[in-house]
Amino acid sequence: MTGVRLIQAEQAPLLARSYYAKGDPGPIVAALAHVPELLEVTMPFLDVALGPSAVDTRTKELVILRTSAVMGCRYCIQTHTVVARNTGLSVEEVAALRGEAPLEAAFTDPQELALLRWVEVVAVGPGPVAEAARREARAHLGDPELVELTLLVGATLLLNRFCTALELPTSPKALRRLAAEGWT
Amino acid sequence: MTTVAEAVRDDVLPGRVWFYANYHCNLTCTYCLTESDPRAERRELGEQRMLALAHEAAELGFTALGVTGGEPFLLPYLPELLARLAAILPVVCLSNGTVFTERRLERLRPLAELPAQIQISLDRPEPDSNDAMRGPQNFRKVMDAIPRLVERGVRVRIATTVTAIDDEERERLCRLHRRLGVSDADHVIRPIVRRGRAVDHGLGVDAGPADLPAELTITTDGVFWSPFGPTVHGGRLDTDLLITRTTTPLKVPAAALLRLVQGRPPGSDSQLNIR
Repeated sequence: MTGVRLIQAEQAPLLARSYYAKGDPGPIVAALAHVPELLEVTMPFLDVALGPSAVDTRTKELVILRTSAVMGCRYCIQTHTVVARNTGLSVEEVAALRGEAPLEAAFTDPQELALLRWVEVVAVGPGPVAEAARREARAHLGDPELVELTLLVGATLLLNRFCTALELPTSPKALRRLAAEGWT
Repeated sequence: MTTVAEAVRDDVLPGRVWFYANYHCNLTCTYCLTESDPRAERRELGEQRMLALAHEAAELGFTALGVTGGEPFLLPYLPELLARLAAILPVVCLSNGTVFTERRLERLRPLAELPAQIQISLDRPEPDSNDAMRGPQNFRKVMDAIPRLVERGVRVRIATTVTAIDDEERERLCRLHRRLGVSDADHVIRPIVRRGRAVDHGLGVDAGPADLPAELTITTDGVFWSPFGPTVHGGRLDTDLLITRTTTPLKVPAAALLRLVQGRPPGSDSQLNIR
């Protein structure tokens, strides 16, 4: 049961059709297809923000999964648990990112720990972020990385609230993988 | 010259913008694209919104307007609205031709001096076969309305929507519309499109973007590709020909439509002459 009807391929609006060309495009596209002009700008943005870029994939997955866990987004946690495992993150790292173990128990790299603390202060708000966290982040990240990863937190927040509010369903394939590895 | 104006000039984009004025109707036709009937949700676009959109359409470079529904003449303000729209761009208004009271006909008289047409549906040359699709007394009411519009100087077009029509029946129909004062140039025959209620009755032809003119069609639910786009089936709006939910500024859906049209492969323009 979702909070919004998901548009199926036969009802896909003209601007959305290309997203259905290779089969089920997933619930984010199928929901956004209700407003095609939003879909056609949102998906390219998300592709750039969350997809391969100058920042390595592992670092981006740390941000996405940690943000999703902080925000309690069931869809994003489940989906990105699978993505993170596929990216090469260990079971212990994923468990820590999901909030099921202390971060310091799984992560020892000062840069990654600084980033994860940055994610938390950016994600939870409200108001200005703690100066100490910003100083720590700036000590480990250059301006381009700080900008990109801060935007990635924001993009993930957008998805977190969108997927949670609209109760988007996790794909059966992801659920099978989670079950096989003992994740919830 | 705007991008839209250039596209219209170069026949890349049709010049007409359609308004779905409403979705309710006094009839319940078997092939209705929008499942319109007296109980249908009205979903009125609104008088002021249509006027504002007409001005936007003209500024963008579109060259004509169309008003459809539902039955637009169920809207009390329609006769005067048509005159105001026609002062902005030439307009054609589609009607089932069954709600033309003497008072309403008089209110339409100013259209005689304006670039305005009323397109009335007439599917068969005899009452029984016509009314089987469109409902009791439809033929009689249309036969009554058309000459009264023509004698007031209002230009009338007749649209015949059929699955098939043989030569003999078509000739009887053409003799009839000529007798009513409607020329051959103002008579169009088109196939039933298998959307809306036509699906339930197994009527018509399947039609997609390749078959339908890319006429920007504005409804209260968004903007669609062609007036055959915003159809309703099973009480639910079809979205397969939806372009954008944004209707204003009109340049947003217009730009999206232009991109879609320009993205079509060569030779994939209208194939079924569904107009």
